[in-house]
Amino acid sequence: MNVKFLNPFVEAAYEVLKTETGQEIARGDLRLENGVYVTDDATVILSLVGAVEGTVFYSMNNETAMKMASLMMGESFDSFGYLAQSGIAELGNMITGRASMKLSDAGYESTISTPSLIMGKGASISTLDFPRLVVPLNTAAGPFMIHLALRQGTTTLKTPQMAIPRAFEASQQG
Amino acid sequence: MNVKFLNPFLEAASEVLKAEVGTVASRGELSLQISALTSDDVTVLIHLVGQVYGVVLYCMPKETGLKMVSSILGQDIEEMNSLAQSGVAELGNVITGAATVKFSQSGFEANISPPMVIVGKGVQVSTLDFPRIVVPLNTDLGCLTVHLALRESVPGKNNNPEDFVPLAIDPSARIS
Repeated sequence: MNVKFLNPFVEAAYEVLKTETGQEIARGDLRLENGVYVTDDATVILSLVGAVEGTVFYSMNNETAMKMASLMMGESFDSFGYLAQSGIAELGNMITGRASMKLSDAGYESTISTPSLIMGKGASISTLDFPRLVVPLNTAAGPFMIHLALRQGTTTLKTPQMAIPRAFEASQQG
Repeated sequence: MNVKFLNPFLEAASEVLKAEVGTVASRGELSLQISALTSDDVTVLIHLVGQVYGVVLYCMPKETGLKMVSSILGQDIEEMNSLAQSGVAELGNVITGAATVKFSQSGFEANISPPMVIVGKGVQVSTLDFPRIVVPLNTDLGCLTVHLALRESVPGKNNNPEDFVPLAIDPSARIS
């Protein structure tokens, strides 16, 4: 794991979480983990492909996830249902998207995948030969962890960067 | 999910299972799922980015995973240790890689992410607003279930977070 990939993610997470929760974020101590990641209640998984490749996890407990979704959407959730799940996945999407823009500014062009959400405690996720850098953040909603398992990529992207534009989605729906 | 993405995966999966594992796969009944997937013992997760966009999951019971890895490596593996995990991850990686080569031949370029292995039964994996096509592949070593949550993307857009579709939407509005 290359440490120069860390700051874009931490900055992006600060910015996004501060906007979404409306409060300051505090960073805990960094650590490097080699073993498997044992899941917390909710984990958002995104991959990066390109000049930076690997996986990012955002993990939190149920309480944090529901508070975070409540803060983001301005309505109170008492169960981690579909809407709250989408909110949390979107949060991971926003942080990773913003981080990939910062990485691109630093000369590392990469594309991010769609988010997948894992719910349920105690499963183990292995990133195989990618060690993980873990960044604990304290937010108004509770503890929020970022796990970065990234390395400098060798893949040249066959396609330019892309996201799914709103206009395209609208036309698909219409 | 576009059905034209299904066959390249099925072809790739049966070719790879035949070449690497030495087993013949027969396709079970297809189904479309919207709710979250409840994980089996071992799940390999690989993202696709590019003109084909989304996630592929390969689920199998522990015994099937171990038998397949034993067959690939030519030695008996009895535990889902890091060697076995890297074996099943590689199997997923090779199938997905072969499928993207087929996509590329039909004009869809896509890159794949490094594989991840989820070990543990009963956690829920949600692909959110991507419905999944589920294909069970029956082999004499057990059943390997392939979940495809893919869609076509439009090239040339910037990776701005603003460009992303908000996922917080009413699911009933999307699936009709």
